[in-house]
Amino acid sequence: MPAEPVAAGKVFRYSFGSLGQYIIIMANNSADILEEYSDKEYEFGFVTDIEMDIAPRGLNEDTIHFISTKKKEPQWLLDWRLKAYQSFLKQPEPHWQNFELPKIDFQDISYYAAPKSRAKYKDMNEVDPELIATFEKLGIPLSEQKILAGVAVDAVFDSVSVATTFKETLKEQGIIFSSISEAVKEHPELIQKYLGSVVPHSDNIYAALNAAVFSDGSFVYIPKGVRCPMELSTYFRINSENTGQFERTLIIADEGSYVSYLEGCTAPKRDENQMHAAVVELVALENAEIKYSTVQNWYPGDKEGKGGIYNFVTKRGVCRGAHAKISWTQVETGSAITWKYPSVILQGDYSSGEFYSVAVTKNKQIADTGTKMYHIGKGTKSRIISKGISAGEGQNSYRGLVQVGSKAENARNFTQCDSLLIGDRCGAHTFPYIESKNKSATIEHEATTSKIGEDQIFYLNQRGIDTEKAVALIVNGYAKEVLNQLPMEFAVEAQKLLSITLEGSVG
Amino acid sequence: MITTTSLYDQFINLYREREITQDNDWLKDLRETAFEAFSGKGFPSTRLEDWRFTNVSPFLKEDFHLQPGAASLHGLHNPAHIPLLDAYEVVLKNGMLNEDVAIRGVKISPLRTALKNENLQSYFGRYINTEKYPFAALNTALFENGIVIEADKNIICDKPIHITHVYNAEEAVFIQPRILIIAHKSSKIQIVESVVVIGNKPLFINNVTECCVAENAQVDHYNLQIAPSNTHLVNFNQVVQQNNSLFNNYTYSLPDAAFVRNNLHLDLNGTNTESHLYGLYLAGGNQLTDNHTVVNHMFPNCLSNELYKGVLLDNARAVFSGRIYVHQDAQKTNAFQQNNNILLSNKAVVDSKPQLEIFADDVKCSHGSTVGSLNKEALFYLQSRGIGETAARNLLVKAFSFDVTNKIQIPAVREYIEKLITRKMAEAYDQ
Repeated sequence: MPAEPVAAGKVFRYSFGSLGQYIIIMANNSADILEEYSDKEYEFGFVTDIEMDIAPRGLNEDTIHFISTKKKEPQWLLDWRLKAYQSFLKQPEPHWQNFELPKIDFQDISYYAAPKSRAKYKDMNEVDPELIATFEKLGIPLSEQKILAGVAVDAVFDSVSVATTFKETLKEQGIIFSSISEAVKEHPELIQKYLGSVVPHSDNIYAALNAAVFSDGSFVYIPKGVRCPMELSTYFRINSENTGQFERTLIIADEGSYVSYLEGCTAPKRDENQMHAAVVELVALENAEIKYSTVQNWYPGDKEGKGGIYNFVTKRGVCRGAHAKISWTQVETGSAITWKYPSVILQGDYSSGEFYSVAVTKNKQIADTGTKMYHIGKGTKSRIISKGISAGEGQNSYRGLVQVGSKAENARNFTQCDSLLIGDRCGAHTFPYIESKNKSATIEHEATTSKIGEDQIFYLNQRGIDTEKAVALIVNGYAKEVLNQLPMEFAVEAQKLLSITLEGSVG
Repeated sequence: MITTTSLYDQFINLYREREITQDNDWLKDLRETAFEAFSGKGFPSTRLEDWRFTNVSPFLKEDFHLQPGAASLHGLHNPAHIPLLDAYEVVLKNGMLNEDVAIRGVKISPLRTALKNENLQSYFGRYINTEKYPFAALNTALFENGIVIEADKNIICDKPIHITHVYNAEEAVFIQPRILIIAHKSSKIQIVESVVVIGNKPLFINNVTECCVAENAQVDHYNLQIAPSNTHLVNFNQVVQQNNSLFNNYTYSLPDAAFVRNNLHLDLNGTNTESHLYGLYLAGGNQLTDNHTVVNHMFPNCLSNELYKGVLLDNARAVFSGRIYVHQDAQKTNAFQQNNNILLSNKAVVDSKPQLEIFADDVKCSHGSTVGSLNKEALFYLQSRGIGETAARNLLVKAFSFDVTNKIQIPAVREYIEKLITRKMAEAYDQ
């Protein structure tokens, strides 16, 4: 069913490869698609065969020197990496999480992989055709025709940025959207000023590891007063076997600017676990707004929980100036273990932070996710909406911190975390931490856990909708509050993803 | 984990040098296991998740007397006296009861004599995981005195049993009393506990209470923690409920004890049980009030309901940590938990940590937690009706605590608590 891009201007078709073409039809005919996908295993588990430039397995100072040399980095960055490595060595692995941390052999990972032919291309024709084929399979809109989609994509294929679109358009407005390694060369002053300023090199063991060996990532700078005209988007994909991906994203929104940033992932099917320890840093200055959306669908492992990605990500944003705003939205359906707490430091007066999350776990998946809101400035506001869905033997934990400092006069927080249980072998857990040091602050937290009401299912059955579709419908309704926060195209896709993820978990 | 203080060494020596001839074999084993747990871990430090917000080490620095004798009661004006309370009065001096008290169908006996009865083996210390709770381990290893309250089958006790703990703090003491409550099949008892402290030297009470509620039985347990500021109280309360039983707990931590730590653990060991946990803490000065509750749903069709409310003045700190754990077999569980806090001072601090851990799908569970100040509109409304600011505040605090105080089923106790709240609030704003 090849579909023409019809919708108003934007057709979102890069994230889920061959699925892309169905998305438009989905709205009217989701039933067929559900059927079609019900028998399928993980859709995106193909492997591209391109000669890789891979660092030997293992982690030591030489590895870091190797990466740094490969990327022709300046001395200060190498020093920073080495400092982070030292701090990585000092830190024990955490033990407070609500799952058993699998033993990770850091020496058994190769820390650098790059497609071999990576000269800078001016024309798409010059790009390695096999690479383009991969992107085609993924549905990344690199070609001219896909510019219609209105999405600028900085495609990261394994670790190195291969092609960047829309750069020219963005450049006119003074927006910088490039890979981190490029930014290190072209805007060293910005990188030096902000890299590690939100997530320090010693923040936690995985952030330290990332700082030591990060291969690449995206860099965004929005100048004063500019409203970014399009949704910025990066597309990550783990490719080479046993190559943990350590990307780093740094987004800076200068005074009065606005940017919406999308991140989405799929990964090929693998038997061995792959670790993904990314770091995302957001800096919003006075009156700036950053909206960061994630749809995560890394390979979750098979039914027995074998294989699958470990997604240990450190995401943090800081509202530096007054009236700044940072909003995290995430839809987490993949990964064997998802472990992250996108946080906001509300430093500027009257700044606000938001966190919207849907996390789905099935089979033996584990999600331990939530957020941290640090209220420092006065009149700061935060809002947390977390929806967990557990099916099969999945374990879903919300862990959150709301901290109000003594100077945060009239700080306001609202937290709601709901859990939905499907099946009697899954688990849903809530661990909120609320710490208040200011009497004028108002903090509210509420959480509920329940299963899908039999009366709701009965009602839908009675209207001729079978149980499986009824569940999909109810789950989508349940997650609506979060999905509504996503940019429109992403929302459609996420909705679809939810239905497919829950296939086969009913009954 | 703190194992370096002199108090720790003192306890280790005390255990090694004590006379053990009095104990049964099973009790010796129990003490030995508990002692090993304590000696391995020592006093908890803030690195332990369970003690993350509560640093207990400043309270352990005193040169405590570890084996106090019975307290004398001469010339005691009893501040724990509850006006108009019609109850069976039992007085414990430093945890010690001199002789058996027999009320129709309810036997209250000193722990020492009661423990000679082998039947107690199936109740005493059975449900406490001493590995995990250092203070409970210390108590189990070294408790000396306490009481056993046993209600016979089908007995409905006509009046509440009021237990007054008198502690003599004329020198610095560390006391470890122990209470075992057994409500046999279809019995019903109400227990009210209050504290009286003589003397003004530091007092550390490390209490363990165990409560076994058999089939169809009902226990109402009131813990009135009203003590002077030299008091430090660690209270570990383990409850086990069998089929169709009902347990109500009321914990009121009012001024001025410097430190109160309550651990209330419920094991719902049968189906169709019902449990209500009500807590109120009103803290001022430099008080630290810490409430930890765990409700363990292990069987289907149980209901638990928890409501803890707190009002904080001055430099007071409060910690609330509530945990509801629903096992996979515990289908049709209804579990609710709520914690509301009012901060009335900019130096007061609240740490709230409500938690749900759920492994069954056919459940209704919820928790809620709020921290805030008095509603400005409500305050304005009252003032606009000619009620002065102080009176208006007190009225609002009274209304806030009403949700918990109106659950008290003994009118005299309710009135007593309400009066104490009013008095404290009046003092707070008079200054």
